[in-house]
Amino acid sequence: MATLELIEITKKFGNVIAVESVDLKVEEGEFVTLLGPSGCGKSTILNMIAGLEDVTSGDIQINGKKVNALGPFERDVAMVFQNYALYPHMTVEENIGFSLRLRKCPKNEMQSKVQKVAAMLELEKLLHRLPRELSGGQQQRVAIGRAVIREPSIFLFDEPFSNLDAALRIKTRGEIKELHQRLGVTSVFVTHDQEEALSLSDRIAVLRAGRLEQYGSPEEIYMRPATKYVARFIGTPQMDFFTGEFINKDGLLYRIGEAEISIPAITKLPDTAFDVGVRAEFVSLGGKGFGANVRLVQPVGPFTYVTVDWQGGSVTARVNGVSHLKPKEQINVEIDPEGLLFFDRATDLRKDIL
Amino acid sequence: MPSFKRHLSRFFIRMGLAIFTFLALGPVIWAVVTSLLPLTALTSRPPDLDPLNMTLENYRLVLDSSRGLFSGLINSFIIATFTSTVGLIIGSMAAYALARLKMPGSSLLLMMILATQMFPGIVIAIPLFLVMSRMQLVDTHFALIVVYLSFTLPIVIWILKGFFESVPMELERAAAVDGATPLQTFQHIVLPISLPPLFATGVFVFIEAWNEFFFAIILTRIHVKTAPIAIAEFSGQYQTLYGQMLASAVLASIPVVLLAILFRRFVLEGFVEGAIKA
Repeated sequence: MATLELIEITKKFGNVIAVESVDLKVEEGEFVTLLGPSGCGKSTILNMIAGLEDVTSGDIQINGKKVNALGPFERDVAMVFQNYALYPHMTVEENIGFSLRLRKCPKNEMQSKVQKVAAMLELEKLLHRLPRELSGGQQQRVAIGRAVIREPSIFLFDEPFSNLDAALRIKTRGEIKELHQRLGVTSVFVTHDQEEALSLSDRIAVLRAGRLEQYGSPEEIYMRPATKYVARFIGTPQMDFFTGEFINKDGLLYRIGEAEISIPAITKLPDTAFDVGVRAEFVSLGGKGFGANVRLVQPVGPFTYVTVDWQGGSVTARVNGVSHLKPKEQINVEIDPEGLLFFDRATDLRKDIL
Repeated sequence: MPSFKRHLSRFFIRMGLAIFTFLALGPVIWAVVTSLLPLTALTSRPPDLDPLNMTLENYRLVLDSSRGLFSGLINSFIIATFTSTVGLIIGSMAAYALARLKMPGSSLLLMMILATQMFPGIVIAIPLFLVMSRMQLVDTHFALIVVYLSFTLPIVIWILKGFFESVPMELERAAAVDGATPLQTFQHIVLPISLPPLFATGVFVFIEAWNEFFFAIILTRIHVKTAPIAIAEFSGQYQTLYGQMLASAVLASIPVVLLAILFRRFVLEGFVEGAIKA
């Protein structure tokens, strides 16, 4: 168990800045996800933590000790790679036990350790198979087993689910979470899948073009995104944004084209221009509110996402269960002012003005 | 109808394969048959192919140590073994470096290595002979090994570079995270998974060196005549001893054929992996 701290780390590849002065602290036993689109530097950060990539400047500290100059093994970290990187010529048993073999661990001790790990990951029956004889999910578990047997102080995961199909991905996600709950080892997980990040993490670090955009708990990231970028990146369907204006007409209103949303909580007209964002669950259909036309109806099982248009605007609503709305149908739209997020138009930063 | 079409296309495919096999194997079969017949049976018109005349006499004659074939085979073996071993050692290191290290000018270097393959051997034959004779290396094993290395190494480097590039970088990174030193990574990970392509290229180089004729005839005189030269010498100014010549050829082919059969799995796997491994 360990704490991990990144202090102003920067990584340049030639003239390209891949990571720019990122600060990040991971507490003992915490599960932290680095989230961002491809090319945002998240895997580079992970490789730097692992010691597979040098930092250009800045410090990496494990348990308060600077480890910049140490190799991967001396940092006592274990890593699960995106393509698993199982040694193709070794059996499952040899793959899992490889790190012990390098350390000249006695044979019977090694065997009992491998057995224990295999039992934990339900690999007992596969110990004598080669990686190519395993399914994707099984290979994934071997890769995890190879990390677990080391009993490292930090686990690193580099997009470990990206080669699995959707159903297996969700199952494996649960398994990783359980494993973390059981072992309590400090973990850093890299993904571009916001749902994965939300469901696994204690804290999420959202990255954008090599910079840290926001670092917080899943609730914070989801409910109080720091910037428009974070708001757009997190949540399904994507948050809707409006470029409207505040007007004062029997209380404060926000006008989006021909639609007006009253915001009772605000009493004073703000002096800067704001864009407004709203998530689908704060939009309801068929009540009071303003008139709009249905454009798109997308059932996803427990919900249906209904996108409606009006003169000057468009929004997606989340309707529980099945919706019988048809495109072009007229419907009233109501937006809960509680769910509105206000972003400074000039800086894209969210402001609490409610 | 579709099944008729399928049968038809299968028929043509099989025909094609049969013709190709015949073209490839025909000369080999003819060589074996010829090697078993006495000279008189061969020179008569039409050749007398009576199986009753078949004899191992040609083989007995060529294996007589004074005839040069035996020493030719030994010379060929020494030269081919050294060429393939040294070629693999140097070639694999060069290929690994070119595949893994980011060096300035490495693509230029690769193109230059490939460019050496574009000259026909005859272009360098005379300068090469002059250089070798000034260095007093004519008629030595060393000369042929160096020459064979010079034209097999580029191929070795290109084949192995392709393979090493197909080995996921993560394997080596995983080994590093597992605590392996670079040497241990090479020993436990890179080397074992590289065995098939190494064998494949090794066999390829061995066969190239074993069969080479052109430089062998220029750079050898008496002591290091290779098997192909020894075989060619059965063709004299006044008479060609076809039976003995082809018996020698059959004998000289045996090691190569054995090698190909023994390492068939590796050769196939190696070339396929180098080519398409994801």
